[in-house]
Amino acid sequence: MKEKRLIRLPVLAMGARYRWDKVRNQHQLVFPEGMIVLNETSTAIVRLCDGRSADDLIATLKDTYPGSEPADDVHEFLRDLADRGVLRDKAVD
Amino acid sequence: MTKPLTRPLALLAEVTYRCPLQCPYCSNPIELAQYRRELDTATWVRVFGEAADLGVVQLHLSGGEPLVRRDILELVREASRAGLYTNMSTGATVADDAKLERLREAGLDHLQVSLLDSRPDSNDWLAGAASFDRKRDAVLGAKRLGFPVTLNVVLHRHNLDRIEEVIALAQDWQVDRLELAHTQYTGWAFRNRAALMPTRQQLDHAHAVVERVRAAGTDGLNIQHVLPDYYFEQFPKACLQGWGTVFMGVAPDGFVLPCQTAREIPGLEFPNVADHSLEEIWFNAPVFKRFRGTEWMPEPCRSCDRREIDFGGCRCQAFLMTGDPAATDPVCHLSPDHHLVDEALQEAQQSDPPLHFRVMSR
Repeated sequence: MKEKRLIRLPVLAMGARYRWDKVRNQHQLVFPEGMIVLNETSTAIVRLCDGRSADDLIATLKDTYPGSEPADDVHEFLRDLADRGVLRDKAVD
Repeated sequence: MTKPLTRPLALLAEVTYRCPLQCPYCSNPIELAQYRRELDTATWVRVFGEAADLGVVQLHLSGGEPLVRRDILELVREASRAGLYTNMSTGATVADDAKLERLREAGLDHLQVSLLDSRPDSNDWLAGAASFDRKRDAVLGAKRLGFPVTLNVVLHRHNLDRIEEVIALAQDWQVDRLELAHTQYTGWAFRNRAALMPTRQQLDHAHAVVERVRAAGTDGLNIQHVLPDYYFEQFPKACLQGWGTVFMGVAPDGFVLPCQTAREIPGLEFPNVADHSLEEIWFNAPVFKRFRGTEWMPEPCRSCDRREIDFGGCRCQAFLMTGDPAATDPVCHLSPDHHLVDEALQEAQQSDPPLHFRVMSR
């Protein structure tokens, strides 16, 4: 059941924030008691979790990376973040 | 086989050992009175800058009670300015709404509030001070201000039976995270081990409650449940993910520790931030190299497949139980000293000694 749910209005959980690590030269999502190292695509996704809908987020990514079909990957990544408690779906709050 | 040396991710800044509470499992040294000196504001600010340059991501402001430092707002502000993700662990008895609001403005990212029990009378008894109401008010106030809040509850014989009430309270107060951490038997907790150790029946009940609550769904509450290694672990905890690997601590007096309870191990010489930068200490101080990697390991760790999974366990626990800080953590079922764990459990089942509460003066 959980595997299939779609997150519609992704927002970072309270206390989770994007950070550029100047020592390691890496993008990070930092949150209470944890940190995820982000690659280029996941950085783009995280930085678009600003209150817009997941559909809008995916459309924006398509514009940024022409020819890509990011929908499935985006939803999977958002679910993964939500399972770790660092992302909320404002649509179900 | 040498792996590239990692940089620390977390710095624990124990800015003071002073505290209005007397928790009998405090991780501060037993001989608190020996360590009254505290770094001044400017030195802490320099340390935070050095930490950020060294690669530290998360700063944990702790103590003692960090809020008794008069300069705590400035410390938070400067740590935040240095680019550190700032967490604070507090007993919250001196955290009124105005203080919390100023902490928020200063850039504090995350507040961790200790709670000793779900019931006020038991909480206040364990803390050695009337504190339940203030803790509740602080949590509710912090949530109103938009802080992410973690409730930290250390579990032991005297509160474990109320774990379901603790979870209900965390939900009622709408905290974001609940840390249910069984007592780690170092520091004051080691001294109180026979008085704190729960029974097997208590543990099985608590474990079942947490599993049931999780299965039913926790409605956004993130529950971390750290199991007691004496009972449940076949292998030891990967303490700090290895000595000198991701963590460093700075004590109130400026001594830099590979683990906040490392001062319990005799014979180790700790460097001080007054004499060296954090970077020099991390890469060069003998005490950080002492148990780093796998070279120091005795058998059965040295040839064990898990040597880079659990790193031989906890050095402080190894010392406290066997007298040898380089021994395999006795919690491991392969340790030649594993019988010490069984003996400690038996001793705890057969006695109910009084608690020694944390005190600063003797």
